Amino acid sequence: MRPENSFRPMILLCVITLLLAGCQQGIHSGGGGVGAGGAGGKHKLAFVTNNASDFWTIARKGTEKAAAEIPGIEVEFRIPSDGTAAEQQRVIDDLLAKGIHGIAISPVDPVNQTQMLNRASSGALVVTQDSDAPQSNRVCYIGTDNVAAGRQAGELLKEALPQGGKIMVFVGVLDAANAQQRYQGLKEALNGSNVQIIDVRTDNTDRVRAKSNAADTLVNNPDIAGMVGLWSYNGPAILSAVKEANKVDKVKIVAFDEEDPTLAGIKEGAIYATVVQQPFEFGYRSMELMAKYLNGDKSVVPATKQIFVPTIAVKRADVDAFQQKINQLRGRS
Amino acid sequence: MKKELGIFILLIVLCIIVSIINPNFLLSINLQNLARQIGAFGIFSIGLGLVIITGGIELSVGSMMALLGVLLSMTLTEYGYGAAVAVLASIGLAMGLGLGHGLLITRLNMQPFIVTLCGLLFYRGLARFVTDDETKGFGAADYESLRFIANGNLFGVPMPFVLLLVIAAITWLVLHRSVYGRYLFATGRNSEAARYAGIDTKRIITLTYVISGALTAISGIIFAFYTNSVSPANHGNAYELYGIAAAVLGGCSLRGGEGSVVGILIGTALLQVLRNLVNLLGIPSSLDFAVMGAVILIGVMADQIFTERRNRRQVALMRELSAREAK
Repeated sequence: MRPENSFRPMILLCVITLLLAGCQQGIHSGGGGVGAGGAGGKHKLAFVTNNASDFWTIARKGTEKAAAEIPGIEVEFRIPSDGTAAEQQRVIDDLLAKGIHGIAISPVDPVNQTQMLNRASSGALVVTQDSDAPQSNRVCYIGTDNVAAGRQAGELLKEALPQGGKIMVFVGVLDAANAQQRYQGLKEALNGSNVQIIDVRTDNTDRVRAKSNAADTLVNNPDIAGMVGLWSYNGPAILSAVKEANKVDKVKIVAFDEEDPTLAGIKEGAIYATVVQQPFEFGYRSMELMAKYLNGDKSVVPATKQIFVPTIAVKRADVDAFQQKINQLRGRS
Repeated sequence: MKKELGIFILLIVLCIIVSIINPNFLLSINLQNLARQIGAFGIFSIGLGLVIITGGIELSVGSMMALLGVLLSMTLTEYGYGAAVAVLASIGLAMGLGLGHGLLITRLNMQPFIVTLCGLLFYRGLARFVTDDETKGFGAADYESLRFIANGNLFGVPMPFVLLLVIAAITWLVLHRSVYGRYLFATGRNSEAARYAGIDTKRIITLTYVISGALTAISGIIFAFYTNSVSPANHGNAYELYGIAAAVLGGCSLRGGEGSVVGILIGTALLQVLRNLVNLLGIPSSLDFAVMGAVILIGVMADQIFTERRNRRQVALMRELSAREAK
């Protein structure tokens, strides 16, 4: 080996160390503004999402409002990059290592994450939001009752299709708890009615696939009367497939959540209704509850250990007011 | 040509079976949908195929599409630039990124796998960062001409398919009828030998990544207008695999030096027909990938067995002939 080669790994090591040190510095100074007062008895709270989406942008506004209004808390908002249980575990471990006091998390895989949540709850106050893990030691759940949300969608469909007819259901993956619960609620509501579910089509959160699923359904079932999108992007995907097939008048669409194309579709009458959750409330109320609980007020947790934030049905008549409200929350004018 | 023939037969057999079970397959609206998908997936697959022919790989395609998609939406809707500027900027940026990959691979002798894997991670992160994890869309604004080019119908034929045919024709000329094409195959087959023969292999390889970048950008724009909204975290996720699969199914060798444009087109068509048939035959969505995997495996296996049997027969024939001559 030539002598200069032996230096290379050393130099590389030095560079990497420096880089990492630099990053560390960046994080510290970034958090310094908030963290400076943290040692003096402030409650450090964290909000952990399941993946990255607009939904969480609104929840974030809720946590920010809580951080501004409620004295004695500081709030950290964490978005696991790939929406896996492993990634969430890493985020939780990091937070615990930093000495977090309360965590509001939306577990990706509640059943198998029970242990992880229990471990976290031995070091901090753990609240679930958006998706519950009832088997775990979490103190409380704040979020949507997805079975009820599914039922609401079912009622909307019956209203839109008084004559009944065949409908198709679309969702990203059916093994997600909220997808299952919404689907269950939908089936409950439609049970015994003349609205009949043909099948469920999944797309693995690929929007291109979501749209081609809808397009293929229109090809294969010319008499389809309704289409339901259980996840936020399914609404826009269905809408654009239906529009391209020129079947806006023939197919009634019920969507979930409030993506812009969904709201635009409701406004022009192409989508019958959408069932929206209130992520802002998830953010605000989870922080409020944890702050009160950590201050010793345990009465904030109801006996059922579940606080349901109701879903709202947005139809053509309500869409303008709703859009205004949501734009405000997203910080758009 | 033999390599493409097997996969082409598989494609035809599949289409016949599907249309017998469900005649809706042949409805013009379904063929339009299918052609649109083949167009969008085919364009970047050709780019990936070229890279594979040089013996390289390009894994950052999906992430690059997400980044380009959100930037396209932002330049159009938030910064208010014209459609032409936004499209050119998008293609230019992608060519720049491709150039970066090419230079890292040829000048610093880095592994294509590593360089483009880092691209896959880096562009995805960047896309999520610049958008603050918010989905970007094109709203109700028209961008009439751009929307037409990306997703309209020309005399009933979806534009992505028309674009694919044009691009495929040009690539076919370049790859199979030009000096650049010969150099490309030579480089892929044995880059050392090609270099000693006086071919500037570094330039050839770099150029290929630039072309792949440009084609990725075109596909990216088509996909962005197809969905009309781009989620930075999910858009184009794992699409590089569709490209790689299409290229390899169509006869490109991952070792480099082999492949054809026609093969890549047939490979892409096969993948899209498989996706389509899952829905048309009412196969549960959960079996989606299983069907794709099984059909491809059986098809390639059958092809392999036939080829080997034919080769063996030819060898036997030759032996017999030479034995007869010896008498």
